[in-house]
Amino acid sequence: MGLIDNLAKYAQHQNLSKDKRVVFDSFIKKGFPTNSDEEWKYTSLKKIVKSEYNLFPEFSEIDNSIINKYSLGIKDKIVFVDGNLVFSPEIKGVQITGFSDFDCRNNDAISELNSALAKSGFTIIIEKDIVVENPIEILFFNFTKNSFSQYRNRIIIGENSEVKIVENIQDLSKSSTLVNHFTHVSCNKNTKVEYNKIQNNTQESKLIDCMNIFQNQDSVCEVNTLIFGGGFIRNNLNFEQNGSNCESNMNGISLLDANQFADNHTFVDHKTAHCRSNEMYKGIYLEDSRGVFNGKIMVRQDAQKIDAFQANNNLLLSDNSTIDSKPQLEIYADDVKCSHGCTIGQLDEEALFYMRSRGIGISEAKAVLTYAFASEVIESLSIPELKNLSQKLLAHKLNVNLDFSL
Amino acid sequence: MSDIKKQTEDELLEEVTTSEYKYGFTTDIESDTIPKGLSEDVVRTISSKKNEPEWMLEYRLNAYNAWLEMKEPDWANVSYEKPNYQDVIYYSAPKQKPVLDSLDDLDPEMKKTFDKLGISLEEQKRLANVAVDIVMDSVSVATSFKETLAEKGIIFCSISDAIQEHPELVKKYLGTVVPVRDNFFSALNSAVFSDGSFCYIPKGVQCPMELSTYFRINEAGTGQFERTLLIADEGSQVSYLEGCTAPMRDENQLHAAVVELIALDNADIKYSTVQNWYPGDKDGNGGVFNFVTKRGVCHKNAKISWTQVETGSAVTWKYPSCILKGDNSIGEFFSVAVTNNKQQADTGTKMVHLGKNTKSTIIAKGISAGYSDGNYRGLVRIAKGATNSRNFSQCDSLLMGDKCGSHTFPYIEVKNNSSQVEHEATTSKIGEDQIFYCNQRGIGTEEAIALIVNGYCKDVLNQLPMEFAVEAQKLLEISLEGSVG
Repeated sequence: MGLIDNLAKYAQHQNLSKDKRVVFDSFIKKGFPTNSDEEWKYTSLKKIVKSEYNLFPEFSEIDNSIINKYSLGIKDKIVFVDGNLVFSPEIKGVQITGFSDFDCRNNDAISELNSALAKSGFTIIIEKDIVVENPIEILFFNFTKNSFSQYRNRIIIGENSEVKIVENIQDLSKSSTLVNHFTHVSCNKNTKVEYNKIQNNTQESKLIDCMNIFQNQDSVCEVNTLIFGGGFIRNNLNFEQNGSNCESNMNGISLLDANQFADNHTFVDHKTAHCRSNEMYKGIYLEDSRGVFNGKIMVRQDAQKIDAFQANNNLLLSDNSTIDSKPQLEIYADDVKCSHGCTIGQLDEEALFYMRSRGIGISEAKAVLTYAFASEVIESLSIPELKNLSQKLLAHKLNVNLDFSL
Repeated sequence: MSDIKKQTEDELLEEVTTSEYKYGFTTDIESDTIPKGLSEDVVRTISSKKNEPEWMLEYRLNAYNAWLEMKEPDWANVSYEKPNYQDVIYYSAPKQKPVLDSLDDLDPEMKKTFDKLGISLEEQKRLANVAVDIVMDSVSVATSFKETLAEKGIIFCSISDAIQEHPELVKKYLGTVVPVRDNFFSALNSAVFSDGSFCYIPKGVQCPMELSTYFRINEAGTGQFERTLLIADEGSQVSYLEGCTAPMRDENQLHAAVVELIALDNADIKYSTVQNWYPGDKDGNGGVFNFVTKRGVCHKNAKISWTQVETGSAVTWKYPSCILKGDNSIGEFFSVAVTNNKQQADTGTKMVHLGKNTKSTIIAKGISAGYSDGNYRGLVRIAKGATNSRNFSQCDSLLMGDKCGSHTFPYIEVKNNSSQVEHEATTSKIGEDQIFYCNQRGIGTEEAIALIVNGYCKDVLNQLPMEFAVEAQKLLEISLEGSVG
């Protein structure tokens, strides 16, 4: 019995509203996407949805030492354990509560599933004219063996407000788990948002993440996706610009080893004129890891004077690593400046030789070059703790100990 | 200032969108056509009309049966009313078939057609040193220079002659690069192709002249399904040109061709196309549906270079590809695709790297004007065994007018760590500052646009053989009339 049958059975015993039932039936009808679906051409869910999952979380107590171990050391923390909100900070002008349902879904089976059955998640509402000084850290812990968990989160940022958020999903169950994560962000006029995702999970963990961001006039939104580990990761990041002078920035690092897999799908929908988007995704693939990148930029007919840039650079450091990349432009307006670039290559042999001839060992020389490759993204991180962590994880994965920080 | 500019821009666009198709005449030649529709009998009729051997009929029937099971693809970013395949005439031949070797016996009407097209055979023979094979409504009507080529051992004839005279070569290579079941249109073509060109360059021979085929759809309601098979044996070299036109008609005409290139070890093939099928009128009525499968296979150290200038067709669906099978082989793709009015193009290339040290270059330039949509769709696949491979792709789009669209869909798949792939794409319009700069220096707006468009396409036009480069530039002129000087 696969996951879909499990879910069908589970849903029968839930008291779903009429609307939810319709959404769930639509999910059942579509089923999980397969490789013949263009958006899932390079990413297979077949094995993942065949496994058995536990749909009922068992709540565990959490020790402060565990929280501290995975926390960046930021003061304001929201902590989830097995789907339950156990801790949330008091911040002036910010309301933080648990799950509250809202209507938003994309036209795909997985977000329909989330919309129909998710019962956990956070809601952050930031009032007007509030600059949240310290970043907010959100930690999701899971101890339930073989769990399938769904989170449904919502963030509303009032006019002229600013906030920085760091999100981290950690599996501590030492078993094969799957998370379906959905986050909806509304950026009102003249807001500034920075959302950071640390994806450094266990080899058995699987994550499907979907983030929809709706931007209004004069808003700036930046999403940094830092992938340092995980058995299977699929990120869908969608921006919709609904007012002039919006800016959407996306940065990403994927540093994978063993047989890890990460797929980054991004979509920027430029609906209004005079907007910008910037995208920079760097991939470093070691051992048998696999990467997928699909970046789509859409410029609608009336969205003139758009400046959109997209870069996807990849380093294949092992002969068994692979990358499938699909940068995409769909442009219906003429007065625009759009470009994308994609490169796939290796470390420069000559640069390595230069360093080695000066007494730097091969692995250190490789690490220095890889650092340099990734630094463009790491440098752009504005939270110092996050920058430090990224550097540490990079060094750790490359198996070197460098006595300097970038 | 900007108001004036806007005005001239609008005027230019107006002119662009009202420019006319120069090759839209019809020729009054009696032709031998079979009734509309497709069935096993039609396939048999075509085969028997051409007096084909049994294996060829089997090949066709096999393809027909495969086609019946296949679905018309709809993944391309184009929308059109699917043709009714039972409403197409699958075989039409000019009745009076001229004697192949003497062009003087050509039907005067037909000769007039060629003169209008700008291919005066005699003149070409004398001046340009180009051997021409002309295919009208699916049947090859004239092949020039056959004897000169025969001295070198080069076979250049229509594919139906090749089936009769060189069956061993046709049997060995036909369908090896584009298999019958490759796609919907290639299956259809394999079942009903009526003619096309065949070319064989023997070992070590450098073809002394450019070979050329001219395709024309004449008869109303006919589909053109030609088949080109080009084999360059070890160490040989050839440059091949292909041109196409059709009369102006209200209904959509179907063109589903298959081109197969085989470059054996150390061979070098250069294949240039200037495609100028009737694009339909400015409201998008009529025009040719151009659904073409072109593919070449490179053996060791071989090189295939595709150059195309696409200005015609209502809908284009075309991806000239290279399979780089042998070590050190090279694939190249240079393309200019112009869409205007309501034209739609989904075109690009596929580079499949299988051999070691293989190289490929892709330069694709798109120009969209009016209400048209231009798409680049490309695939670069580097297989695990294709170590030290290299690809460079560049696709640029130029937008003229705010109702057109330009899209890029590149697929990049790399499976080893010694290969390098670079891809870049840009989309922009001609900058106001660029035009202003030219205006300042006494260059009118129209000339300035011409200058910029020509410079923009130069990388591709430079790849065309001399005679074609001139024609291509003329075509760009017609397609974007009013903006290209």
